[in-house]
Amino acid sequence: MIIRSKPMGRRTVLRGMGATLALPLLEAMMTSPSAAEAAAKTRMRLQVIYMPNGMMMQNYTPAQTGAGYAMTPILKPLEPYREKFAVISGLAHKQAEALGDGGGDHGRSCGSYLTGVHVKKTEGADITSGPSMDQIVARQFSEQTQIPSLELGLDPPSLVGSCDTGYSCAYTNTLSWRTASTPLPVTVNPREVFERIFGDGDSLDAKTRIMRLRRQASILDSVAEDARHLSGSMGADDKKKIEEYMASIRDIERRIQKMEQGGPSAAALPAYARPSGIPDSFEDYARMMIDLQVLAYQADMTRVGTFMVGREVSGRSYPEIGVADAHHPLSHHGNDPEKIAKLTKINILHMEQVAYYLKRMSETKDGEGTLLDHSMLLAGASLADSNTHQHTNLPVIVAGGLVKGNQHMMVKDDVPMTNLMLSMMDRLGVQQERLGDSSGRLTGFTA
Amino acid sequence: MSPIIKRSGFAIGLVACAGLAGAALFGNATADTLPPVTRLAQAAPQAAPQVASASSTAGRKAMLLQYCSGCHNDKSKAAGMSVQPLDADHLGANNDVWEKILRRVSLGEMPPRGMKRPSKEEIADFTRWLSSSLDGMSAAAPNPGRATLRRLNRTEYGNAVRDLLGLDIDLSKDLPVDDMGYGFDNIADVLTVSPTLMDRYINVAGKVSRLATGLASRTPVTTDYKITKDLFENAFGIAAYNERASDDLPVDSRGGGSFKFYAPYDATYTIQLYLNAGTQTESEIDANNRHEVKAFMKAGPRIIGASFPRKLTLEQVLIPRTTKGPRVGTSATVVQLPLDVQVDGALVQRITVPSVAQGPNVAQDFYMRDIMQISVAGPYDVKGPGNTASRRTIFVCRPSAEIAEAACARRILASLARRAYRRPVTDRDIGRLMKTYDAGRQDGGFEHGIQAALEEVLVSPNFLFMRESNPPSSAPGSVNRISDFELATRLSFFLWSSIPDNRLLALAQAGQLSRPAVLKQQVTRMLSDPKARALTQNFAGQWLHLRRLEYQRPDKRNFPGFDERLRTAMLTETQMFFDGVVRENRSVLDFLDADYTYVNQRLAEHYGMKGIYGTSFRKVNLDPALHRGGLLGQGAILTVTSYNDRTSVVLRGKWILDNILSAPPPPPPPDIPALNEAKNGKLLSVREQMDLHRSNAICASCHSKMDPLGFSLENYDAVGAWRVNYAGQKLDVTAVLPDGTKFEGPKGLQGILLDRKDQFVEAFTERLMTYGLGRGLEAYDMPAVRKVRYAAAKDDFRMSTIIMEIVQSVPFAMRRTPER
Repeated sequence: MIIRSKPMGRRTVLRGMGATLALPLLEAMMTSPSAAEAAAKTRMRLQVIYMPNGMMMQNYTPAQTGAGYAMTPILKPLEPYREKFAVISGLAHKQAEALGDGGGDHGRSCGSYLTGVHVKKTEGADITSGPSMDQIVARQFSEQTQIPSLELGLDPPSLVGSCDTGYSCAYTNTLSWRTASTPLPVTVNPREVFERIFGDGDSLDAKTRIMRLRRQASILDSVAEDARHLSGSMGADDKKKIEEYMASIRDIERRIQKMEQGGPSAAALPAYARPSGIPDSFEDYARMMIDLQVLAYQADMTRVGTFMVGREVSGRSYPEIGVADAHHPLSHHGNDPEKIAKLTKINILHMEQVAYYLKRMSETKDGEGTLLDHSMLLAGASLADSNTHQHTNLPVIVAGGLVKGNQHMMVKDDVPMTNLMLSMMDRLGVQQERLGDSSGRLTGFTA
Repeated sequence: MSPIIKRSGFAIGLVACAGLAGAALFGNATADTLPPVTRLAQAAPQAAPQVASASSTAGRKAMLLQYCSGCHNDKSKAAGMSVQPLDADHLGANNDVWEKILRRVSLGEMPPRGMKRPSKEEIADFTRWLSSSLDGMSAAAPNPGRATLRRLNRTEYGNAVRDLLGLDIDLSKDLPVDDMGYGFDNIADVLTVSPTLMDRYINVAGKVSRLATGLASRTPVTTDYKITKDLFENAFGIAAYNERASDDLPVDSRGGGSFKFYAPYDATYTIQLYLNAGTQTESEIDANNRHEVKAFMKAGPRIIGASFPRKLTLEQVLIPRTTKGPRVGTSATVVQLPLDVQVDGALVQRITVPSVAQGPNVAQDFYMRDIMQISVAGPYDVKGPGNTASRRTIFVCRPSAEIAEAACARRILASLARRAYRRPVTDRDIGRLMKTYDAGRQDGGFEHGIQAALEEVLVSPNFLFMRESNPPSSAPGSVNRISDFELATRLSFFLWSSIPDNRLLALAQAGQLSRPAVLKQQVTRMLSDPKARALTQNFAGQWLHLRRLEYQRPDKRNFPGFDERLRTAMLTETQMFFDGVVRENRSVLDFLDADYTYVNQRLAEHYGMKGIYGTSFRKVNLDPALHRGGLLGQGAILTVTSYNDRTSVVLRGKWILDNILSAPPPPPPPDIPALNEAKNGKLLSVREQMDLHRSNAICASCHSKMDPLGFSLENYDAVGAWRVNYAGQKLDVTAVLPDGTKFEGPKGLQGILLDRKDQFVEAFTERLMTYGLGRGLEAYDMPAVRKVRYAAAKDDFRMSTIIMEIVQSVPFAMRRTPER
């Protein structure tokens, strides 16, 4: 559904949809320019972009280390931002390996990506991973924004069948784990993302809106009371479900409080139109989601986001770039040059989306600087060569103002990915002693 | 050590590689997910009708030792299993292991080929004894398993709101897609609640409650309906059809589309039609090609349609997509085309739109003028909330001299809460809702009060979760029948994916529903209700992977004939076929082999059938020469089991094992050796690759089961069209099963599957039961599955018998009080 009222703000046209999004005028919402400036300096964002089914490493890894390395075909789209990102080679996710659990490398990949945890092999009854880096950061940042984090993706949770043998689809549907047993599935519908950020917005009149918020708050109080009442007579398993429900309610309640206290909110935003559905073209779709994520950062609705360009075992085909084959079977390329060429094309297309994110972040003002200046990005995959399900020497890109750009770092001895994540968290000011299989910290990539 | 054991020891040496193969065969997902020992461990096994004498149970044990312990001993533990500690006198201690043995032995998979095997008679006797013993044990100490608190999934939520409020809108798309487990999206364990979901619930509850009570926002909004069109790979043009785009449009129309729009008020609305631009990027939607009409609509669900009158002759449905040269009838100049706009089938206005004429390659006759998107903007000039079905359903009374406001509100909320919570309402329920009502009433009056309370009902845990309570003072671990209200809920979510209706609730209230005669009558009634389409949409949609069809993108270069019309037609065929088996209470063996199907012209042409005209579907008898019949001859199934650019014997074979035979192959080993797809520089044919699979012991352990099944379907291409030749060669579709059975082509496969009809019916029952229970099946459920099969066999495996048996089965009708 598209809400149309007379747009008043700056607009950016979303390709393919003909829908318009009016960007919020963040500065206008702030009390004074200097206050805006001060606030911008202390705000930091964490973004993760995940690419499925591994990477054609021979067309990805730069031949030289250090600064001024030569761009490879897959890294080429990032060239304009050379100063803003670093390539790190040699990191590993040993916990995504079988370790006695047999097949299902894809199934393990997403669950361990931000957790460093060897996920429990199960189809459903007792999924266990996490908590994930983004959620640890989100928890710490949550006091400052209305939405602790956004989890976005482009592949709907597997619609049929199992996802990877023996592993529940819950493992491949997200990177984000609030706790060890609570995954936060990605949202794939742009309209849902929009409404999550800006509310359902079928009334723009502030008085009605506040009245509705109060109503919602009191209803939530009431149903939370019902839930407590119910859980009294429940067994342990059922109780766990009700606790998830109550935790989610607390989340929304906190958000409503924040909105009532003022600050940026949909009520204060200029008129806008919302996306009506999922664009047909992959690129339009990816860009629309990135636009929404950047919008959420710009309005300071959240400071943490994960984005899955695809989920593991994704069978998406990309006819628009001449790849009619399904991605996952193709990724078991058996060293066939034709297949490798096609995979490289897919990797490049995905990397172009990372470039688009950097572009949008770098051209969006945040105080004196840009959003990119005040953020950190981790982009990569949980598999290197998917043909052999390799979880070592992973493709890793870190970017943003908090990162020392223009360098290719090479680390040795399968240093855990989680070491990198711990150091990223350090830079974001989030105290964390350990994460999953971390064995220390990784230095040299932050600015 | 006895000489017998020595002999099998010798056999191990012989088939060192087969040992590996055997391990893989056993180590399937079931083996990993079966629980250790269930409560039944303590239950003494009951004498079953055919339990053998003591001497013969000793004989069973000796048989296990003789034929199985060569690999499955305490030391080698092939597939993590040893038969040495098994006690044939006390099956209960290891019922999960015994179930596994029963399955593998009756499938003829164990002992593996090449090893010494018991005679056919010995095997039959053994499996008869084992199954009847396990069944008898289960009958004596039923174990209904665990039923975790289950949340409504998004489909169920949407249907429940529809039925609760009489509000005919599709809400499921407003909620996030649910996670899946065991192949379905209604599995209690994986239906979690996240803040994102809660956010959506609050959002949707607000919108829905306002819409249903007639208090929706009066701010005009635009609702868009994008019409699915065929786009070429390079976004060049749209396929144009000289046929009716939907059953809601006039018979003599072409193009356009229709959609259901919910008008929030009696008011005026603008219907906007966006036409294709006639450019190279036909997918573009722009204001230059927008045409508008105004229409007054009554509040409620309205069908908005727009289409062109049809010009060509009846048989001519497809305008060929040539890209070169002028075509007969091409007009170089712009002409005016009539375009009709309808609401609920009645013409609102005929407008004229200019044709596109921009040169020979993009002239309108190549890409006929068509509609890309229909939008409805409004409401304007609102007259009132109207007399909608939802307002009639909700406002069962009006405050008046006879009934005070508060009393009327109580009556309304009691009626809503009873149906939403699917149980008698308590004073506590009403007390809470009245509090919210009071707050809303103060803000805006009586109707606002009801709206606020309804908003609460729609996010209440009583509504969102299917809660079942334990009988008062029942001991932890004890097994009890579920209450009649709980039965009503289980039934309606199973058969309708929605809440029980008043009839079911009334029978539950009277304590009648669980009486077998009443239950049977109700199941029959429910299956003949249109709401039972939910079984097709949700059960069949997932069991048969039909939901994947929407995401399949067959390569246009290899399959130029595949388009949106064909995709829709394939889906409709299989849905109507499944629905027909339910509605006409036919045998589920029709799924394997039926002499009828459902087609329209588009699909008939795809299948090579003649004389079928028009877009409507009809039931047709199948000529054997067409090579169709049963699910495995249907385009939808054959397409979802293919890659976009080619068929895959492995995908198809695995699909049959998973969904038709419930014998999923184990996962591929972690480090799969890459197959050499070329030999001496020449690419290998599918058959040569298969031979390669077979020659490698590790590959062979699974592929010898998958490949032959898939291979027999090679006569169907990746979109299910019949082919005799492939890549210039005649296809040889003879295949050999691991047990040596030779068969040929789809007909041969049908025979193979019909020979295994017991296995198929059990597989089907397992899938349906998993869906009905919202949980994965465990070893202790297998006796219930077999019981369904036995009963169904007596009635030609008819659908309603299978469903009746499932709803009366131990896991469906009973519940175990959980341990604290």
